[in-house]
Amino acid sequence: MNRLRVVWTVTVKELLDFVRDWRTLAAMLLVPLILFPIIFVAVPWFLQGEAEELGGYTVEVKILIEQDIDVPLDFIHLLNSSNIIYQILDTSFDNNQSLANHSEILEDASFSIRNGELDAVIALRSGTGNASENWEYVIFSDSTDELSRESRSRLLTQIDIWEDGIIDETLLNNALERDDVYDPVTWDGAVEAADTATSGEQAAFAFALFVPFIISLWAATSAVQPSIDLTAGERERGTLEALLTTPIARSDLMWGKWLAVATIASASVLLQLVGLYVAIRYLAADILTPPSVSIMGWSLFVITILLFAIFVVAVEMAVAMRARSVKEAGSTLGPMVILFIGPALFAQFVNMESIESWWFIAPVFNICLGMRASLLGDVSVIHASLWMGSSLLYALMATTWASKQFNREDLVESIS
Amino acid sequence: MSTSLLVVDGVSKNFGEVDALSDVSIQLNRGEIVGLVGGNGAGKTTLLRLLCGVYRPSEGTVRFVDDGENRPVDEVRGRLGVVPESTGLYSRLTAWENIRYHTRIHGRDDEKSWARTVRFARALDIENELNRPTRGFSRGMRQKIALIRAIAHGPDLLLLDEPTAGLDVTSARKVRDLVRQLGNDGGTVIYSTHMLSEAQRICDRIIILHNGTVRADGSPGELLEKTSMDDLEDAYIALTGDVARSEPLDVESPISGFLARLFSRPNRVSKGVEEE
Repeated sequence: MNRLRVVWTVTVKELLDFVRDWRTLAAMLLVPLILFPIIFVAVPWFLQGEAEELGGYTVEVKILIEQDIDVPLDFIHLLNSSNIIYQILDTSFDNNQSLANHSEILEDASFSIRNGELDAVIALRSGTGNASENWEYVIFSDSTDELSRESRSRLLTQIDIWEDGIIDETLLNNALERDDVYDPVTWDGAVEAADTATSGEQAAFAFALFVPFIISLWAATSAVQPSIDLTAGERERGTLEALLTTPIARSDLMWGKWLAVATIASASVLLQLVGLYVAIRYLAADILTPPSVSIMGWSLFVITILLFAIFVVAVEMAVAMRARSVKEAGSTLGPMVILFIGPALFAQFVNMESIESWWFIAPVFNICLGMRASLLGDVSVIHASLWMGSSLLYALMATTWASKQFNREDLVESIS
Repeated sequence: MSTSLLVVDGVSKNFGEVDALSDVSIQLNRGEIVGLVGGNGAGKTTLLRLLCGVYRPSEGTVRFVDDGENRPVDEVRGRLGVVPESTGLYSRLTAWENIRYHTRIHGRDDEKSWARTVRFARALDIENELNRPTRGFSRGMRQKIALIRAIAHGPDLLLLDEPTAGLDVTSARKVRDLVRQLGNDGGTVIYSTHMLSEAQRICDRIIILHNGTVRADGSPGELLEKTSMDDLEDAYIALTGDVARSEPLDVESPISGFLARLFSRPNRVSKGVEEE
């Protein structure tokens, strides 16, 4: 029988077996599809919702004001408009110490915040200076308590507004404008308008910083489960022995399985790209600019991912085939994925300017840098040849090694 | 006149320090149903795996005789049908899809394979289960599907590793009847079992394996005659001298046993191979 037909028979069977398992199907196809929409849409939406929820809470604050001085009315008005309940307590401060060094106040504030009586304490006293008003303050809060953190944030916001008012009044008293003091050297016009990169190129630059990492991470992890299932799993379930008694060559068996896992992993990664496209094109179109990448760039990007998938799948299948059980394969491949993730993580930070060529032949780095270069449209023929050639070489080496594992005599042995 | 189909010549198989088979020589003729009988660890499964090419002999040769020419196992594997110790069915595939997977690898046409499958399924009273996923199948049903899978492509030689293990009386009888029928139709079968009564019932010839060596090879009548016994079980005891069960066991303390298990690392290839 034609060897290609045998390989195809194995692949078809494995894919059929795969699509019958809805849990695996969901994990391998649905999750990558919704991953980027979740990152770009659901996460910001969720964070915004949480922030709004926190903003709706009323917080309780104690204002410690220097004796015989009233809390400024402007500040009181601002507190009233920001959902802050406050109590005012006249306090004697040691003028020789900064407000932050009043340990008794700190202890009292800590006690009240921990007991839930208060969310923050602000100490306020008059200061020295030539502004229309001068004040000193400190906010005691608990950075590990959400409401206390929120109180601090609201107080700082209102203090900024109050301070702006004092600045404006001081400037007015001296016949000055705000720009005269703060911005005597002025950028004239919109900052974005002066960027020679188009908004699409800027988006591509931003994408190139993290998309290769996420995709290589997913390619490495998505192949783990099917690799184990089709090798150690088949061995453990006893289905492999029956298969080895047929006239199939072990190398053909390996290629058939490899093609199935590579198809699954590639489909998973490509769906991830579809999810990315949908997220930036439709779901988050108002906050994200679609990256401007040429067709050649996208083509190189996809080819690079596929080469990586070939390499990763072969390595993972070979390792899984060496294992005596699914458990052993899982314990080996789980930590081993770090070998792929680690370089992918570092590759994000490699400076692409005048980059040394050897980066493009270093395993995993070559793939991630190749993806970055493709997205940035900064592809040189030498670099492309290096990363494609080395990827192909690694893929061949990995498949040869995997093939050797499939030829081991002890593929069939007692599991007990 | 019987013609030789399979020649096993001086085959030994060892896994590291463990000798699973030692100097085994047998010859199998076309149309024979040969029982491979032995206790646990006798080497039956190892021998079957050698015959179908899953293992390679450490010494000796396994040759198939085809048109007067000797051929190695790898060249004729397509003409073998094997029911291994474990049925090896894919649980998410239907029974027919399991069978079809193997017939396709054998290069058979789906339509013809289906026709043969239905015929055998009818004989085993399992035709209504062919389009059901094998998940949830009983041991007996799985065994029957594995048998159909092994014969659906029309093999010349059928290797069965305890095909009736775990089957109820009726199912076991149906399997034996089908095997017998295949033999009557000119098929050649090696039937591994540790049940002498079963071997006696369907086999033309019985090979007794013990501790990896062939202790006897002949028809049931010849074995009885050789040992001057009236009962095949007595003949088996006489031929194997199997006194292992009467030997005292090593007694280990619970702690030393636990430590030994904790720190021992099983051989990557254990003898590995043997029956339950």
